[in-house]
Amino acid sequence: MFKFALKNMMIKKVKIILIVLSVVISASVAILAYNISQQVDDGLKTTTAKYTMIIGPAGSSTQLAMNTMFFTDKPVGTIPYEVYEDIKNDPDVAVAIPFTMGDSYNSAKIVGTTNEFLNDKSVDEGRMFENGVAFEAVVGAEVAEKYGISIGDKLVTSHGIGEGGHSHGDSSSLTVVGILDKTNTNYDNVIFTPVETVWHTHSNSDEEHSEEDEHEHEHGEICAVLVNLSNMGKFTYIQNKYQNADYINEDGDEISLSAISTSEVMRDILENVDMSSHIVLILCVIILLMNIFIISIITLLNMYDSKKEIALMRLIGVGMRKINLLYIIQNSIVGFISTVLAFGVSRICLIAMKEYISSMGIVLNAGVVYTFEWVIMAAVFIISIIPTVICTFSMSKKDGIEE
Amino acid sequence: MINVKNVSKHFKNETAIDYNDITFEDGKTYMLLGASGCGKSTLLNMIAGILSPESGSIEINGEDITKKSQKEKDLFRIKKIGYIFQDFKLIPEMTVADNINILKLENVDTSAMDEILEKLGILSKKNKKIKHLSGGEKQRVAIARAIVKKPEIILADEPTGNLNFAIGEAVIKELTEISRGKTLIAVTHDERLAKYFDYTIDMNEVTGGRRDV
Repeated sequence: MFKFALKNMMIKKVKIILIVLSVVISASVAILAYNISQQVDDGLKTTTAKYTMIIGPAGSSTQLAMNTMFFTDKPVGTIPYEVYEDIKNDPDVAVAIPFTMGDSYNSAKIVGTTNEFLNDKSVDEGRMFENGVAFEAVVGAEVAEKYGISIGDKLVTSHGIGEGGHSHGDSSSLTVVGILDKTNTNYDNVIFTPVETVWHTHSNSDEEHSEEDEHEHEHGEICAVLVNLSNMGKFTYIQNKYQNADYINEDGDEISLSAISTSEVMRDILENVDMSSHIVLILCVIILLMNIFIISIITLLNMYDSKKEIALMRLIGVGMRKINLLYIIQNSIVGFISTVLAFGVSRICLIAMKEYISSMGIVLNAGVVYTFEWVIMAAVFIISIIPTVICTFSMSKKDGIEE
Repeated sequence: MINVKNVSKHFKNETAIDYNDITFEDGKTYMLLGASGCGKSTLLNMIAGILSPESGSIEINGEDITKKSQKEKDLFRIKKIGYIFQDFKLIPEMTVADNINILKLENVDTSAMDEILEKLGILSKKNKKIKHLSGGEKQRVAIARAIVKKPEIILADEPTGNLNFAIGEAVIKELTEISRGKTLIAVTHDERLAKYFDYTIDMNEVTGGRRDV
């Protein structure tokens, strides 16, 4: 039966390829859309709770949060290192971590910080960088894999974020002392180094930055401070204290600070993401409904074309039960192949889109399969068979013999 | 033995054919002659269980085929009857072997296929697609499919209808030879082929002649 079903499919290969293609395209779009929306959602949620407050230059709170938590977007600006020292010594502050960004190695961003920033991460090879030892670097797993970086390698960095910036030259190259374990988070796409590296790089650097350079690193300046309070009851007090504080930058200009609540900013971001997830879910349902429509039409046309073939088999004595089974096997094969291909195409697309999505601070993992994806695949498989069952059932009632 | 008794078949256009009683003996070959529309093919289809009469009985070896359910008729047709259709009823895109092996869907043994194709002189065409065969070759494939399951009864509805006389005569000769020992009922318009059959029945006499069917 199976062998005959395959042979019968071979004589209709053009139609079958068209059916498979239409199912693969629609199903893979549904699977891909759902997977990406979930991975983005998960990526944002897992990053949320690490720090309660971020203090940086006055400006967009979303930009400040995205820059420091997801290493995406451009820094809002710089603040004097003195801000970090004041916050660190504040009795109401439990953790204060300096954060600076603005240089890159190829497309990988470089974050200047202290090794406390990575205290929940482990190294796969080598060791963590030492605080205060400029030019040591710890590399995220994806960066190491992408650029074939090993321990001891020298990385010549560039000014600015992204490719195409001015090279800092060999004298400011980073020495890789460690490679982080893969985390499937935005940490995989970044190179970490002490803040001193950033300052020394810019003081050593003999290149002349153009006036268009979007962001300048000055010695002793950082982009933000990540904060955990020892007493959450004093959140508003600390927030007001630093937002109202007066600091002078190295140019002698007075600057204002912004102290944002990470949970509040993330709640706003997640609300938008949740809305997007709902839209994606609705789109998935619409795509699946379209799938039902397309498959039903094609199956009906196919079965209509098969009427002569069915009548022929009936005339020589093949029972309707066997004929039904034959077409159900055929469509099950089509459904199975389409589902597997749709899944494969969605994974290939995930890998292809990894780099683009990672620029937004989320690392896509092609190995992650959500329960709803299985539901989509099961639905596609069932949808591929149901029209055949209906067609063959209605034909059985008519006996299938042309009189 | 096939006994056709008091059979009457009505059609949707309100015409009806009433058959006089006829008996077909086991192991004999019959040629049914008659004008178009006199009910020759209808009789074969009723014997095969493809059509059901409105009244009367068709007993085959004591069993009334008209009383069987559709499923029983299908089983009876696939096991006991080899039916050769005028328009061959073959799947053009499939090979000769695949067209015969369709019977395997109902667990029919087709192991005699090569031997029969050899006898019919088309073994070399076994893996050729039907659409690449001549009319005579297609008819031989239809014969092979009908007899490969070693049926007790062979029904042939104008097996030479699509062939010229020379090829048609050769096909009938082969069909009667290969059907030796079985009951063969063949519908044909060509009286020149009567010499190859044990009996010739004029269906105009059995049914009263042509109907506007």
